[in-house]
This record gives sequence, C-alpha cells and structure tokens, in this order.
Amino acid sequence: MSTHEILATIQDSALGNWMRYTNGAMPVVEATHVVAAVLLFGTVLIVDIRLLGLADSQRAYTRVSRETLRLTWLAFAVSVITGSLMFTTSPLTYFYNWAFEWKALALLGAGVNMAAFQLLTASGVSAWNEHSRAPRAARLAGVASLLLWAAVVLLGRWIGFTKGYDFTIPAGLDLGPTG
Amino acid sequence: MRAFAEWLSTSAPSVAIQSRFWFIRVLQATHLITAGVAVASGLMISLRVLNFQRADQPFDAAWARFAPWLTASLAVMLLTGLAQTLGDPVREFTATSYWVKVVLVLCCIAGTLWFARAARRAPATTSFSVTAKLVAAALILFWLLLPLLGRMIAYDKAIWGPLSLRT
Repeated sequence: MSTHEILATIQDSALGNWMRYTNGAMPVVEATHVVAAVLLFGTVLIVDIRLLGLADSQRAYTRVSRETLRLTWLAFAVSVITGSLMFTTSPLTYFYNWAFEWKALALLGAGVNMAAFQLLTASGVSAWNEHSRAPRAARLAGVASLLLWAAVVLLGRWIGFTKGYDFTIPAGLDLGPTG
Repeated sequence: MRAFAEWLSTSAPSVAIQSRFWFIRVLQATHLITAGVAVASGLMISLRVLNFQRADQPFDAAWARFAPWLTASLAVMLLTGLAQTLGDPVREFTATSYWVKVVLVLCCIAGTLWFARAARRAPATTSFSVTAKLVAAALILFWLLLPLLGRMIAYDKAIWGPLSLRT
C-alpha cells in the first residue's frame, strides 16, 4: 500500500467524513487543539526555565518537573488526539504541506531531546538537583526543548497560513476526481 | 459597532497592518506563544490557591515566581491583540467569541489581582477561604477558555449560531 493510498484511506474513513461534514466538529476540535498546545508549551516552559536557572533556582529540579508533568502529559494527549482528528479531514493536503512536515520534524526533535535528556543527563540528577545552576548538558537540553516546542506551536499556526495553496504535490501523483 | 469597525478598518494604522500580511502572521504567532506563558502562569497561581500546586510554599513565593511572567506575557498579548484587532476590526468586533474573550481576560486579571492583594495582606498565607478557592476554580476555566475563544473567532457563526454578532 503506497503512502498516497494510506492517506486516501484515512481521508475516506468514517472518522474523516465525520470530521469534514459534521457541523461545528472542526472548529471545536481545532480550538481544543490550540488550548492543548498553549498549555503544553506553557508547562514545558516552566521546566525549561528551571533548567536554564531563570526561575525557581531555589527549588529542586525534580520537584518543578514532577509538579508540571501531569499537566504536560494531559495537554500532550489532548494535542495528539485533536491533531489526529484534524489530520483526517484532509491528509493529502496536510502531508504535502511544508509547515506540517517541519512541525512533524520539530515534534520528533523534541521527543528525541526529551528522551536523550532523561536517559543521559537526568540519570545523574541527584548531583545537581538542588543546584541553582544545572550542568551544561541540562541547560542545552532546556534551550533545545524551548526552541523545538516553540517551533511546534509556530509551525502549527503556519499550517493554517499555508494549507491549501502553499504546498507542492509530487509530479504525476493522481489525486483522483475533484470537485 | 459594525459602522465603527468599518470606519476603523479604513484608518491609516489599520490599512498599514492589513497591507503587511507577514506582520499579521508575526502578530498571531507572537500572541499564541505568549498565550502559553500567560495561561500556564495564570493556571499555576490559581492552582496554588487551590493547594494543587506548590502547597509547600507560602502563596507569596508562588506569586513572586509566576506574577512577573504573567504580567510580561499579558502585556505582549495586549499589544499583539490590539494590533490584530486594529488590523481586522470588522472580523473581531462582529465576533461574539471576541467580546466573551475580552470579558474573560478582564475577569482573569481582576481575579488574579485579588489574589495579589491577599498575598500582600498575609504574605505567608498557605491556605485560602472557600470564596477564594471558588474564584480560583473559575479562573482556571477562564484561562483555558481564552485560547479556545481566540481560535473560535474564525468560526463565530458555526460556534454561536444565532448568538453570533456576524450577519
């Protein structure tokens, strides 16, 4: 099954049709996606600026991280669910949109950064947990996280600016009947 | 209101914003990013009042941590929000979501300032009255509704139906 066939199947699915043709579904889902993205970025920022020593420098890193984690995961889960629902409305358009592609890359980068931080830097957290200044690797992870999540939010907004007219369709690709 | 919005849309500052499409994009993107800072900071202050966050700290410590970020982000949001309104006054002024959002912003600011006053009166406060907790719970809802309503401005008729100010 080619990528195009998978995308077409998603687009023709019952869920895709429901999202496209149910009055108010897309506005509610999209607005909820924005709320989740805003909350996700805001809670990640609280941890990142602790890593950078810009705030909460007298508070243990693990404490700050633990306090925001539930909200961050909740916001992430809602973002993934609503984002997937939005994708089903026109996957053929989204998939070839440059802002969507870069957003997916930024999201992947944020995930890799978080995994690397947890596996490498945070494993020795007891040595710097109470320090106002985190080690260089932790600060770098904080900067990377901040930039990548900001990119995810901004590129998400940019999809709205570019979707529908600023994307390229591979030559020779049959998009089927239109209209 | 519509007549005023239409007049405003022909004013020089409005035309200047409308004619620079990139500027509108930058305004919207900045507004969205700073919304993350404002909503998270506002939520943390309200969650502290409810004792769901930083219960080990006195309220004034949590206030000192989040208030400067909240103030700065709200200032940026106010500027970018006003510029967006000026750039497309008819779209904004004729949206029910816009006016509900304005009211909720004012409620969030008033409620948070009320907490600030409480912090000044009793800096070491660790627990709040039932009234304060009810206000905090309402503010949590309001903070989350702000970005929701912001996005809903684009879909005013679909969301509000006959209650939409758009004709």
